[in-house]
Amino acid sequence: MNGWILTATVGLGAGVGATVWGVATGPLRRRVVAQNMSSAVACPGLLLLSQGFGRPAYLDLALLLALLGPAGTLVFARLLADDLAADPPHARAVTLAAAGYGAVVVLVLCAVTGPGRTMAKLLVIGALLIGGNLVASRALSGGFAASRRG
Amino acid sequence: MDEPLIVVVLLLVAASATAAVAVRDPVHQALVLAVLGVALALLFTVLQAPDVGLSQLAVGSVLTPLLLMLSVHRVRRREKGRKGKAR
Amino acid sequence: MTRGVRLIVLALGGAGLAALLVAACLDLPGFGGTWHPYGDRAVEASLSRRTANAIASVNFDQRAFDTLGEMSILFASVVGTVVLLRQTRDEKRGKPEPEEVALPVRRYALIVLPVAVLSGLYVIAHGQLSPGGGFQGGVVAATALHLLYLGADYRALERVRPVGLFEVGDALAASAYVVTGLAAVLAGTAFLANTLLPYGTFNTLASGGTVPLLNAAIGMEVACAAVVLLARFLDQAVEIEKENGER
Repeated sequence: MNGWILTATVGLGAGVGATVWGVATGPLRRRVVAQNMSSAVACPGLLLLSQGFGRPAYLDLALLLALLGPAGTLVFARLLADDLAADPPHARAVTLAAAGYGAVVVLVLCAVTGPGRTMAKLLVIGALLIGGNLVASRALSGGFAASRRG
Repeated sequence: MDEPLIVVVLLLVAASATAAVAVRDPVHQALVLAVLGVALALLFTVLQAPDVGLSQLAVGSVLTPLLLMLSVHRVRRREKGRKGKAR
Repeated sequence: MTRGVRLIVLALGGAGLAALLVAACLDLPGFGGTWHPYGDRAVEASLSRRTANAIASVNFDQRAFDTLGEMSILFASVVGTVVLLRQTRDEKRGKPEPEEVALPVRRYALIVLPVAVLSGLYVIAHGQLSPGGGFQGGVVAATALHLLYLGADYRALERVRPVGLFEVGDALAASAYVVTGLAAVLAGTAFLANTLLPYGTFNTLASGGTVPLLNAAIGMEVACAAVVLLARFLDQAVEIEKENGER
């Protein structure tokens, strides 16, 4: 049980636990923000686990989550555009906190790994994660005009 | 060993699965199922099964919510059409 | 039966099931441990065929016939869905309209779409080396294509997605898997035996014999099947509506 695994345990337990509570209770605007945050918090957790277990192959999991997590939130943003337009979510603080957490984890891991192909992969994952997170939040709070057909 | 990590992720899976059953509205269920998918992928990763975790991420993050939400969208559109004609 | 009686029956049945489950769990062998008879043999067979990813070796080499069954399950379910969701005589197909989408979302979708498709192809190609393989990469590639619907609108997706082509691709890939297996029969060994191609160098792209080929076939099959499936769902949700004259 090294420091990486410990940090991952705490980060996942607190982060994903909070999103499970947020997605199961409350109004729709809180639920979609919680779903968005679940992938934004799980991805740095996967990066920490990859370092903690000593298996660089697990970085592929983080890459796919960084690509497909925001796409999942875009599904809800597009197909719930009418409901969300009536009551848009305002979650800038939570979004920026999750983005900051992701950035810190990626930078620490880059510093530990040193220059090379793995560091390039980490930077790509970090860019996709933070960019996707911010764009998905933007899409939730009014990115799609309420549409007739979908 | 990694027991605390496995226990934490197992609890997350149990909590989100219970929430998926307790929530009744299909739209809310789709949201909870997306979070359950992420929790399951984490569980498979900490149990050292990354192939299965990758499959879970691939299917459960976009494909399943998209299929569910498209079905809900279709049903709502038909109900809106019926209400419009009845008026 | 009133509701109270039903709840009592449920509680009794649940209590019995819980007691049996607890008794069974207390009798299980310990978690983890060092005795893995099947795992040792599977990993040894995988390494002797120079396949770095033991899971890929089990899926596409040692138990390739089971994977053929799984692929036919996916194929059959997509065929069934296409039949169920087809446009019937009393439905008409409206034209999808262009949507108004915020600029950051559009730009994000257009930038990430090629990255995601490439990642899917990367996962398929490296199936015999790192976690992943045909199924995972195929689903990622198909989903990446639909970023065009999520980030723009359905009309944009329809322009780049000729559904007929994907249906043909699905059938072709499924046949390719079977043909690769039959090639082994024609060469004199068993169906889907991994003895035709050289095993190559460990931990490089050209390793594992027929595992990369079967990986590619499954990847193409799953990607095309997922695109066809989503196409039918999208048509029903976005385009098709009942003719006037419905009750």
